[in-house]
Amino acid sequence: MSVATAPSTALPKRRKSAAAEDTAERRRTVRTAFAFLAPSLLGVVLFLLIPIVFVIGLSLVQWNMLTPMKWVGLSNYVNIFEFDGFGHSLLVTLYYVILNIPLQTAFALGMAMLLRSKHAGSGVIRIIAVLPFLSTPVAMGVVWNWVFNPSTGLVNQFLAHLGITGPAWLSNEATAMPVIAFANIWQYAGYNMLFFLAGLGAIPLSLYEAAALDGATKWEQFRRVTLPLLRPTMLFVLVTGVIGSFQVFDTVYVMTAGGPGNATEVASLNIYNTAFAGFRIGEASAMSVVLFLIILAITIAQFRYFNKRITYEIA
Amino acid sequence: MIIGAALTTLAGCAGWGFGGSGGGQTVTLTYALWDPHEQVGYQQSINEFEKLHPDIKVDIENIPYGNYEQKTIAEFITGGAPDLFWVNTPWLATFIKDGMLTNLTPLIKANHVDMSQYYPQLVALHSVGSKIYGLPKDWDTIALYYNKAYFNKLHLTVPANLSWNTSGTGSFVTFLKEATTDASGHNALSPQFNPNKIATYAIGIDNDPQGGWGDYVAEAGGKVLPYPGAPFTSLATPGVNAGVTFLTKYLTGDHVMVPGDLSGPNANGNNLEQMFAQGQVAMWEQGDWNTLTVKTGVTFPVGVATLPIGPAGRVSVFNGLIDGLNSHTKYPKQAWELEQWLGSAQSQAIMGSGGYVWPAIKSLDPLFLKYWQKQGIDMQAFLTEAHGQVVNFPNSPGVGDALTDVDNDLGPAFLGTEPVSQALKTAQTDANYVLRTS
Amino acid sequence: MTSATTTTAAVATGLATEERASRLGKGVRLTGFYLLLVIIAAIFVLPYLMSVFAAFKTLPDILAQSPLRPPTSPTWSNFSTLFSQYDFGRYLANTLLVTVILTAGQVTFSMMGAYAFARMQFPGRDSLFWLYLMTLMVPNIVTLVPLYVLFAHSHLLNTYWAIFLPYVLGVPYQVFLMRQYFMTIPKEVMEAARLDGCSESRILWKIIVPISRPILITATLLAFIFGWNNFMWPLIVTNSNSLNVLTVGIANFNSNFGVAWNLILAGALVALIPMVILFAIFQKHIVNSISLTGINR
Repeated sequence: MSVATAPSTALPKRRKSAAAEDTAERRRTVRTAFAFLAPSLLGVVLFLLIPIVFVIGLSLVQWNMLTPMKWVGLSNYVNIFEFDGFGHSLLVTLYYVILNIPLQTAFALGMAMLLRSKHAGSGVIRIIAVLPFLSTPVAMGVVWNWVFNPSTGLVNQFLAHLGITGPAWLSNEATAMPVIAFANIWQYAGYNMLFFLAGLGAIPLSLYEAAALDGATKWEQFRRVTLPLLRPTMLFVLVTGVIGSFQVFDTVYVMTAGGPGNATEVASLNIYNTAFAGFRIGEASAMSVVLFLIILAITIAQFRYFNKRITYEIA
Repeated sequence: MIIGAALTTLAGCAGWGFGGSGGGQTVTLTYALWDPHEQVGYQQSINEFEKLHPDIKVDIENIPYGNYEQKTIAEFITGGAPDLFWVNTPWLATFIKDGMLTNLTPLIKANHVDMSQYYPQLVALHSVGSKIYGLPKDWDTIALYYNKAYFNKLHLTVPANLSWNTSGTGSFVTFLKEATTDASGHNALSPQFNPNKIATYAIGIDNDPQGGWGDYVAEAGGKVLPYPGAPFTSLATPGVNAGVTFLTKYLTGDHVMVPGDLSGPNANGNNLEQMFAQGQVAMWEQGDWNTLTVKTGVTFPVGVATLPIGPAGRVSVFNGLIDGLNSHTKYPKQAWELEQWLGSAQSQAIMGSGGYVWPAIKSLDPLFLKYWQKQGIDMQAFLTEAHGQVVNFPNSPGVGDALTDVDNDLGPAFLGTEPVSQALKTAQTDANYVLRTS
Repeated sequence: MTSATTTTAAVATGLATEERASRLGKGVRLTGFYLLLVIIAAIFVLPYLMSVFAAFKTLPDILAQSPLRPPTSPTWSNFSTLFSQYDFGRYLANTLLVTVILTAGQVTFSMMGAYAFARMQFPGRDSLFWLYLMTLMVPNIVTLVPLYVLFAHSHLLNTYWAIFLPYVLGVPYQVFLMRQYFMTIPKEVMEAARLDGCSESRILWKIIVPISRPILITATLLAFIFGWNNFMWPLIVTNSNSLNVLTVGIANFNSNFGVAWNLILAGALVALIPMVILFAIFQKHIVNSISLTGINR
């Protein structure tokens, strides 16, 4: 009798304490989870969220950090285009992005396709091509200064052998930006090639076989099999590339400092000069906000374009 | 601000990253400047100062001129600015307005510093009302360095009082034409003169408010600023227009002046120094701080001629530096001692007699003159102008940045791609914006 | 009969020619392929090689000789000048200090956050993760000016703290990267440990970390490379030369002595060589890290 009754009275008690233990356990987990999250969350709030809000506020004042702020409303947004040449800087930056991204993406993809093979050389070159990606841009900028130096640099000395007088690459308006774009392509094409290699590897060979059976040429196979299925990779490479290109600074600072004149004065350099040489915090903040909105708009546009066309499923 | 609190707690440990300040007996002051040549003279002067003040050590910090203003302001913001630092007129008013400099008037009164020993224009330049922000220590004017060997070859002497007018005629223009030679040896007065093959230009004048068009504008009665401290310019006025036009239309048009595209990017005259040394330009209009460069860079004897006389007379742009006293210095007493020393006759005698710079104390000028006479260059022209009519370098908060915009906007006028009146209108709009928002 | 044999012979020769032609075609393609490889290799390797050569030449030698020629009388003088006269030793030490601190903090704190997102349950987990992801859209340049003002206000400018602080508390990209990896670790591993009575901390440090070597190495590399190469932020928050990191030191040297090719290229190498060494040791991890981002999801 006692055996039969004992469990019935003991059972509810056990369930309740187990439940209570569960809640306590869960609360402990939540506490621990937030403890784990605390540092990065603090970082995000302090160093990302608050500055974003703050820069919008700063864009509405005139301030040089030494005298009191002066409220000017939206006039900074007008003045940066009228007097600080920000419109010009945005165009220069756009020019750089147009020079840089298509060529870089093409080279990255081209190298990926070329080096996919199992040939002995491919593996070594794959590795070599990636090395530039971690080269300090400031240090490389100085190296390129030398390579493109009109008298002592390799490029013009090589051209001289061919009987051509090379231009003053970095002092010439027409060539300065292309050289900077070259430096950037050199630095990141190899790294982006890795993404394309991964993307290419995910395309089943059966698709190519099927296409070949249908009589498709190599070029048609590329257009109709490779490119469409590479779209996720392409999206990633293009989005990160464009966002990065819009913020180019180190290379320009060291190679041309925005010159000749202001032919290579990209947006980030204008922001830097306005804020930290001219100490015009309000104008620089307005520039930062405008640049942010432009980058955001372009990124959203890219996502929209690709999302319509990406096929994740391979039948 | 919560963030401020969070970060300030961390800042409590922000002690590391700063050098330890000298506490106790000896105080170390930092003194910032940019000219490496003058630095030699100042080191000598400071050696004397340290002998007289054994409890004060002075560290000279050389900050290249290119980003001197920016670096000093940035150091001020981060709280580590030097105790004393050179202040040039382009940013003088900005520094004063931003509260970076100490008002020295009470100290001057308490120590009975004799302000009448200095050039009165320099005292006025560095004062705002009754507040004086530095003891004048040097000055400079603009004159014409010329190639004595070249003029000897042409059997020409540089006359003392040349004059010009706003119609582009006058003895100055005539003389310049005599002094311009083409490849076949004809001067610009000759009918066989070939303006496409000029061997030597008579004069090089750059697109600059101090050493270039600034003097001709002043001589035509024009003003860059209507009054010191003005928050707007008076660039689009007849006087300014006449001065600039004289250079861009008449001197350039007559082929006696180095054309804008040869003189440097935006006609800024960067190439003139080399052209002068190579004999491609006979007279180089510049400030006297270039004397050592001229002496060491050329192989021919050099003379100095005064500026020509314009419709409003002979006027040179006049400028001088001060040692600003950091308003947040940790050692105000010792910093003042150094300031007083550098403004004193003993220090300025060292600087003058070593040929480093014209002393701001009028009576000591002969020392500088004598030094350079021994070196073979007669600097009297600069002194004559200093004792004559001068206009102070434009002075207003933000004027340095405003003048950079003005130079950019005047470039096309010097290159001949834009009429002067249009260039001046653009310059005025851009400069006014800078002055308004500084 | 003769025609038949001739035809067969002709066909045979025809086939042989075809075979030879295709083999020739293949040979040409192969040569072309290797030629391309050599050109690509040259483009990527030459800049380093030339810089190494130049860093060991005197300035007259650099100006006189072809950049492609190895130094005829190599000298350490450029490096010794940089370290004795131009403070590069200090810059190197500064860079090492801030980069190590930045890396240690960033990897540790990002890992903690990643583990919480990957394998712990708590309210708001998914929305919070989305917030982290969204911040990846914010370009660095946007936060530069306001951060500078905030640091100025907190009297942190011109200190070592200023250089690494914005990056040391863990960053969303690293959190994302490591979370993706942690999600591939079977839940059972953690369940078993929890049943054994392990605290979450113990699970993370004693169990997860040892089996996450690949992603941890990648994260450490990414953080270290970022810190080492960082330029704009250190440039604006430091003033005193004594606080300069290598990038700032090189840029300043370039402004003042840019034409002293022997010195400036040696200076560039001081920054580049450690990265090359890092790459040589960890190159497999860098290459494999791409698959860890799982972008083809």
